[in-house]
Order: sequence, then C-alpha cells, then structure tokens
Amino acid sequence: MTLFRLCIAITCILATCAVLLGALWAQFGQGEFPCPLCIIQRMAMMLAALGPAWLLCRAARGPVDAHDFAQCYACSILAALVGGTVSARQVLLHIAPGDPGYGAPMFGMHLYTWAFVVFVVVVLASAMQMLFLPKRSEAPRVGLGARLSVLLLGAIIAVNAVAVFVESGFHWYLPDNPTSNRLIEELRSEVSEPSAGERESGVEQP
Amino acid sequence: MDALIFVLILATLMAMWRGKRRLAGLLFAVSLVAVWMLFKHHATDALPINL
Repeated sequence: MTLFRLCIAITCILATCAVLLGALWAQFGQGEFPCPLCIIQRMAMMLAALGPAWLLCRAARGPVDAHDFAQCYACSILAALVGGTVSARQVLLHIAPGDPGYGAPMFGMHLYTWAFVVFVVVVLASAMQMLFLPKRSEAPRVGLGARLSVLLLGAIIAVNAVAVFVESGFHWYLPDNPTSNRLIEELRSEVSEPSAGERESGVEQP
Repeated sequence: MDALIFVLILATLMAMWRGKRRLAGLLFAVSLVAVWMLFKHHATDALPINL
C-alpha cells in the first residue's frame, strides 16, 4: 500500500510535468508566445505538483502519517482551485461564437481548456487520496524515481523562470497579447542605437 | 514579476527538498497569494457573456 501511494504521488508529478513540457513545446516548438493568463496557469500547475513533491520529500526523511498526506494534498487542491479559476476565466473570455480563441488548438481544444481539465483532475485525484488516508504512519523507501521526478519538476520551474524573463524583459508585467521576446528586442535595440557620445563625435553607424 | 514568482515557487521546492517544513509552508502560501494577486492584476476585461 505504501508503494502504491508513492507511485500515485510520482504519477501526479510526472503527469503535471508532461503537461508543462507540452506547454513549453508549444512555446518554443510552435513559436506561440504564452499570454499572462497562460503563465499564471503554469504557476498554479507547478504549485499543484508541489503537493505530491512535498509528500515525497517528507517520505525521504522519515515516516509519513495521515496528517502529512492531508497537508500535502490540501496544498494541491488549493493550487488547483486557483488555477481552475484562471483557466475558467480564460475559457469564458473566448466562449463567444466566432471567437477563434488564443493560440492554436491542440488535440481539439485550446491549452487553457486542457488546463481546466487538468485542474479538475488534480482536485479529484487529491480528494481520492484524502479519502483513503493511512491509519498508521508509514515509512516508505523513496527511490531514485521519486527523486528524479522532483528534480524534473524543479528543472521545469527553472526553465519557465528564464523563459518568462526573456519574454517580459525588464518590465514588471507581460503584455496582454505578447508577440515577441521583449528582452531580446530590447538588447538588440540597445546594440543598434548609437550612444550619445558616438552621435556627438559623428561616428557612422552601420 | 512573473519570473520572480517562478523563482519563489522554485525556492518553495528547495525548502521542501531540504526538509524545512515551516519555511516551505510559508513560501507555498506566499506563492499562492502572489499568483492570485497577479491574476487579479490581469483580469480586467469584462467577460463577453450575458447571463
């Protein structure tokens, strides 16, 4: 039973990582720039995955009991509720007839619609886990697979941090409909614009 | 702002990894509130629905 619970936690993390990798593929493979609401949904998905990741981290350090399970999956439910609200709002923004939606659909639905499905599944899966809490504390053996799944989640979070910084540049917020990587654009314009000293000395720019 | 929240989430995961329960719980709560505040900042348009 202990191994089964650990496998479910690893599966939850890997499933979320797969969705986040799909979003990164849409961003870099298909050249779609994620809007602010898409980025917020990614954040909520990561926070939802932190619940089972926290459970694995606790299990790696000693026995875990019902309180640990409940606390970790409650975190997932809270994050999924926030993410579900954001994705539901984005679905409603594009629900009017004739609205093409934001970005290209994938497997018949837009990414924010898939995100809503993911958040509903997270709430259901977490609630199921909390229905069958262990009666005694368990000391599962956390193997390499569990550690690698947590590391994969960390790597995806780090990649997203860099990607969103490149997209937003030195601005506090992303534009509503981003069409370029602002950091790269700003750096290019810095390089191509002549400095004040060069302009005064009449240095010709290419 | 978005990149900072991602860094905050990464810090939460690192606190969990290192077994710092209180810090991890605090960072998780701060991250969740920050995500919600960012959503409130961006959710400005009226929905095109007529209920």
